[in-house]
Amino acid sequence: MTGIGAGLLLQLGLGALAVVTALLAAPSLRSRAGGILCTLIAVTGFITGLAAMLGATGGLLIPVALPMDPLLLAPDRLGGLFMLIVSGVGILVSIYSMSSTSGPDASRTAWVAMPVFLVGMQLVPAATDSVSFLLAWEIMTLGSTVLLLADHASRASVASAGIWYSAMSQLSFFFILAGFAVLAAASGGTSFSNLQAIEPGSAAANVAFVLLLLGFGGKAELVPLHVWVPRVLPEAPSHVSAAMSGAMVKIGVYGGLLVCVRLLPDGPAWWGIAIMLVGGASALYGILQASVSSDLKVLLAYSTTENMGLVFLGLGASMLLRGYDATAAADAALVAALLLAVSHAAFKSTLFLGAGAIIHATGERNLDRLGGLGARMPVTAVAFGIASLGAAAIPITSGFVAEWMLLQSLIHGGRQGGAVVSIAASVAMPIAVAVIALTAGLALLTFVKAYGIAFLARPRSVEAADAREVPSLMRISLALGALSVLALGLLPGPIAALVATTVSSDPTAAVQTVGLGGVSLPGIGAVLDPIMLVVLSALVAIPVIVAIIVSARRHPHRTVDLPWGGGGSRARPRMQYTATSYAEPLVRVFDDVLKPSRDVQVTHVAESRYLVEHVRVEQTVSDVIETRLYRPVLNLFQRYGKAARHVANGSIHRYLTYSFVALLIVLIVVSL
Amino acid sequence: MFETFFPQLIGLCTGALLLTSALMVWRHSLLASIRLLALQGVALAALVAVIGIAEGESELGLVSLLILSVKGIGLPWVLAYQSKASIKQIQESTRLNPTAALLAVTLLSILSYVVVSRVFGLGDSSTGHAAPIGLAMVLIGFLLLISRRRARSQLIGFLVLDNGIATTTFLTSGGVPILLEFAVSLDVLLVVLILHVFTGRMRTKFGGTAVDQLRELHD
Repeated sequence: MTGIGAGLLLQLGLGALAVVTALLAAPSLRSRAGGILCTLIAVTGFITGLAAMLGATGGLLIPVALPMDPLLLAPDRLGGLFMLIVSGVGILVSIYSMSSTSGPDASRTAWVAMPVFLVGMQLVPAATDSVSFLLAWEIMTLGSTVLLLADHASRASVASAGIWYSAMSQLSFFFILAGFAVLAAASGGTSFSNLQAIEPGSAAANVAFVLLLLGFGGKAELVPLHVWVPRVLPEAPSHVSAAMSGAMVKIGVYGGLLVCVRLLPDGPAWWGIAIMLVGGASALYGILQASVSSDLKVLLAYSTTENMGLVFLGLGASMLLRGYDATAAADAALVAALLLAVSHAAFKSTLFLGAGAIIHATGERNLDRLGGLGARMPVTAVAFGIASLGAAAIPITSGFVAEWMLLQSLIHGGRQGGAVVSIAASVAMPIAVAVIALTAGLALLTFVKAYGIAFLARPRSVEAADAREVPSLMRISLALGALSVLALGLLPGPIAALVATTVSSDPTAAVQTVGLGGVSLPGIGAVLDPIMLVVLSALVAIPVIVAIIVSARRHPHRTVDLPWGGGGSRARPRMQYTATSYAEPLVRVFDDVLKPSRDVQVTHVAESRYLVEHVRVEQTVSDVIETRLYRPVLNLFQRYGKAARHVANGSIHRYLTYSFVALLIVLIVVSL
Repeated sequence: MFETFFPQLIGLCTGALLLTSALMVWRHSLLASIRLLALQGVALAALVAVIGIAEGESELGLVSLLILSVKGIGLPWVLAYQSKASIKQIQESTRLNPTAALLAVTLLSILSYVVVSRVFGLGDSSTGHAAPIGLAMVLIGFLLLISRRRARSQLIGFLVLDNGIATTTFLTSGGVPILLEFAVSLDVLLVVLILHVFTGRMRTKFGGTAVDQLRELHD
């Protein structure tokens, strides 16, 4: 057996051991034992994925007696990369969740589901045939659904989220199943090597492409299949949200890449344009909703939609450019999409874990009731801050490198050697650049709001004022996440070069390492060296800092006591900016898209109508796509469902009559 | 000698099978239904014995004995396992009035003749000519299943359906291996025993065995 095979087998074995341990262990030991085993599963997956990404081959054959292609788990380089991403998030989440020792997060059910979820996620990228892919996919969905429902007893909204999640997961699964079935019927096999033989321009390939895009897009939270996201990610326990947003969503991205890069490469131009459209719409819609949300976890959930939209935008651009033989730009766009996926895994899982730490300390996820946590929870604040920088794509973090590379490939992609590549590309690329620019601006606003309102200023509630730093295991996990965000941002060169080997036929022509871990794109002539940037800005900043210190020495410190405190000493926390008021201008600007509903209630003093006792303002921003697209369809189903209850009313006689009548009809028909 | 009687004997046995099925639809008393079921079991055993003698297979004789003991004696006895006085009072209130039910039986018999003759062909042999009886019994058993309210009466419908399947088997293919027949009979016996215990539980739990009331359990 090869090393990869042994790694996969070890993951399965550890998963089974973790399930048994969770079932049998005493409640006091359960979290520790389960957490350690889950960490081991993730570490095994990490090493296996790394080996596969570096080019190790081999796999695990699952013997089945059914008449189909053999079930083989053997990750290729791309699969290895995604196994690495997923298990990296798994390590963070496992360490984090070890510290919960009571409540639903430490329940037996949750600890049985956790290893199932992890193993399922880690096996999806290893599958080399559609049957084992779907099998691992369902294991992943099952585990995540159970984890989501851990808290259902105490909060009713969890049950509703569970129903939405199950329905949307099954919808995704149905589309994927149908897509693979179309491909399998056309090619006569279920293994990916058989499916690859399909002609990309054929009708079967077109149908399968649409079905698979719908299926994987649903998992990757793309508009309009994202409706589960703002319900599920906020309601799930925070470490589960981190695993879902950081890892499971990447499996959806992997599915997209599997279709567009491995199974059906060189498709018609409209495929690339369609993916760019869906990706761009998701990016804009996601960040717009995130920027006006005042619920921290809803904000992070919508921001996930935005990031996945950008990933698919890069994927679509790369497909479009490859169709016009702009290989260097296409490779750069694809590598950028992958880097964005990697960096999103790092910063979004850290952000969700940070949100979990805030909820652990205050019990609040409404930003309007937080504030002042920076002084009370320093480690969480620093980790959340670094991850926020990553999410806002600020230099020296991973998010910046990925978005920079995506912009470079889009800006230079439309032209090759000074000539326009094609009309479609030269129209699509500038629009995509504009979308990314708008997205980046809104993302900056969003994360300034998330960090500033939660961690800076004064506490807006008693809970926030009483917050204490979280236990050490949570802090370790947060610190690891923040470090990975920085590492990915400071050393983009080696990482990008490694990532390029997974998708590019000529990786050195696409991406090279320059300077101190910097990245260079030789095909389009762009260079970025974050460490050099840091050194340069340090060279600029140090003389300024020295000058300030020197001048401060010359003028000794004077204590100034303003008689009226500059108006600040008597300001109450209620007078501060809140998340809602910060986002108010945005809500006004994007009024037509967001369609917010405002409700102002004025209570007058009993003696006079001209005096106001108090004013209550309520503003809700609902998901337009949900209310306009899903509600009517759901209402229709509800109506038919109610009508169908009369058909199946539980009477055994009625059911027997149905089968009798059916039998009679069959007999009459065959004898005609 | 036997060859001249053979078609008549087959006709007699299958006629008895069809008649007992029809009478079961008509009668409302549970005791009468059980007696008719016993009679039907005896008729089925006789049919198998006749076929066995005609084809000179001693194995079918054993099968005949088995059917007699299980369907003619065993199952009716299990169903009637209650004091005579109380079982006499059990009257089935059907969902179909007797006239409509008998009309339905007629239509079902005609339908099965049409289906078998058009789809499979009746063939030249006297057993082949009688084959539609089996399908008719299956359909009548189904009709009993859907028209009876009590669990035990439904069980009788199920057994008529099973007898119909057995009849079809013997008439069309000259029987099945004894081992298979043995297994099937035991299965049916087991089902009846389980359902019997089940209805007993139902009676103690809900005070009745009207299956209609079970609908409250859904959701």
